[in-house]
Amino acid sequence: MSVIELDGLEVRLGGRTVLNGLTGQLRGNAIGLLGPNGAGKSTLINTLLGFHMPTHGAARVFGLDTRRDRARIRQGIGYMPENDSFIGNMSGVRFVRYIAELAGLPAGDALERAHEALFYVGLGEVRYRNISTYSLGMKQLIKLAQALAHGPRLLILDEPTNGLDPMARQRMIQTIQEIRTAGSIRLLISSHLLRDIDETCDEVLILKQGRIAALRNLEEERRSHRNFIELETLGVIDEFCERLRQLGCECASFPGGRVKIVMPDSIEPRDLYVLAAEQAVQIRRIHRRRDSLEDIFLQAMEHVPARGELVRL
Amino acid sequence: MCRQGGNLSVYKHEYRAYEGRVTPLWARIAVLVRYGLTEAWSSRITVGLLTLSMLPVVVFLIIIYLANNPIARALIMRGNSQILAINASFFLRVQVSQCWLALVLTAWIAPRLVSFDLSDNALPILLSHPISRFGYVGGKVIALFTFLSLVTWIPCLLLFAYQGYTSPQPWMGANLQIAGGLLVGSIVWIALLSLLGLALSSWVKWRMVATGIIFAAVFVPAGVGGVASAILRTRWGFLLNLPVMMTQLWQRLLGASEFNRIGLDLPSGAIVAMLVLIGVVCAAMLNARIRAREVVRG
Repeated sequence: MSVIELDGLEVRLGGRTVLNGLTGQLRGNAIGLLGPNGAGKSTLINTLLGFHMPTHGAARVFGLDTRRDRARIRQGIGYMPENDSFIGNMSGVRFVRYIAELAGLPAGDALERAHEALFYVGLGEVRYRNISTYSLGMKQLIKLAQALAHGPRLLILDEPTNGLDPMARQRMIQTIQEIRTAGSIRLLISSHLLRDIDETCDEVLILKQGRIAALRNLEEERRSHRNFIELETLGVIDEFCERLRQLGCECASFPGGRVKIVMPDSIEPRDLYVLAAEQAVQIRRIHRRRDSLEDIFLQAMEHVPARGELVRL
Repeated sequence: MCRQGGNLSVYKHEYRAYEGRVTPLWARIAVLVRYGLTEAWSSRITVGLLTLSMLPVVVFLIIIYLANNPIARALIMRGNSQILAINASFFLRVQVSQCWLALVLTAWIAPRLVSFDLSDNALPILLSHPISRFGYVGGKVIALFTFLSLVTWIPCLLLFAYQGYTSPQPWMGANLQIAGGLLVGSIVWIALLSLLGLALSSWVKWRMVATGIIFAAVFVPAGVGGVASAILRTRWGFLLNLPVMMTQLWQRLLGASEFNRIGLDLPSGAIVAMLVLIGVVCAAMLNARIRAREVVRG
């Protein structure tokens, strides 16, 4: 089943069309939501939470309609907003317990899970301090703890690394990766940082001006890019290329000794060196493409599909 | 530790979904009420104000005791039956004093109930759970209403019951209108105070300022209305005067004697319409403010 299904979703706010005919199915374990400021990322999240009503079309979360099944959707969602959002005069554990009780946990279970969630995100030692005394990084973590405590099926994180120093950011990314690996919870992560999405997500939805600019499976993209290699060589490369083809590689040679190769999974880069040595070819430089997400993002920013166009997965 | 639901594992640092029992949707409002009441009680000033609000009740209790004690009656009244008369006018005084003390409590408690949520922008998180904006406001109103009940209709009806118990004649049955008036009049007033207090508090960032504004919202329009009535020689200016309106409403509900000041009488329909209008304005203010939108601090 799709985690999120968008069916010609249109949302108008203040007379302006913020989301314009979004159509697509998001199935990943960790879905990244990318786009420049004003692209409609937060509006999409707010619509999924039922804060905004669709003007046309529909959005579904785990098959539940955001218009009709708001309470049931919210029951299964943990939401970490972008900006500060807490009750400053409450202690960490009391705040998380309060939110867990609002999500439907009985008081005893809520208290137990509040303690555990705070330990899980690394706030165990400061859980009895008032939230107003927390640092910025701690405030981000308390938002994550409250989103996790009631055991949601879908965790929505809006700019989770906002304002964090490099250490705190790394820790947040690590925690998100652990949650994804655990597998019992799906993630929707909104960010304007490509790196955050690249490190945590296996699918990405890119929005531009309220429309879907791209919807891609990052795992597949990474797999294909992992096998793509560019070489700069010295020597006669015709025979070298022929031997590569015999090994199952797709190979193209260019003037100046440049060679582009798409390798099958069975071939390792080490094999290239062995083959080159046999053919008396020097490999002067080897370049593997890594920034698959950046490529997707840049392509998406150049091209915007028409309204309602179903973008390929 | 209880392990009935799926739990996070602290030591293994693993995440597991919760699979235990979930409370029904209506119970989430009870959570808001419970936390609201706890927040209200957490202040010593609240406890002090509540104690202060009980002092008039003790005084009225003593008066009822004396009025029904033959020796005290003989000593104090000395043939004048109007002194220590326990009737509708007496209970009007009880109601007026308790209801105005309820205003003081509202001015202190209402800002505590909502301003913490709003100043720290907690609404996006609170409302992302299965609770509607209506449920959120409802929970806060019930919390404030419950608290104000402790100083208004509950002690008023207890005094009424005590008078019925101590009176040598069958007093209670003959004066049921007083009990009804105390109940309805107090409920109208504290429901209005709850809405007014929360609506005004939701628009003010600082709690002490909100406290001042709640008092101002009651007394400033009263002054303006009085000036307008005096200049224009009309009684309708008193529709802005909440103390006058409420006192007249309570009088009529209890069956006590009317105001004697010429031209001050307001039709009951106009009073009710004005109270409804105030309620609608408060609801509109809450509707505009209680939203799960992100507040970006600049």
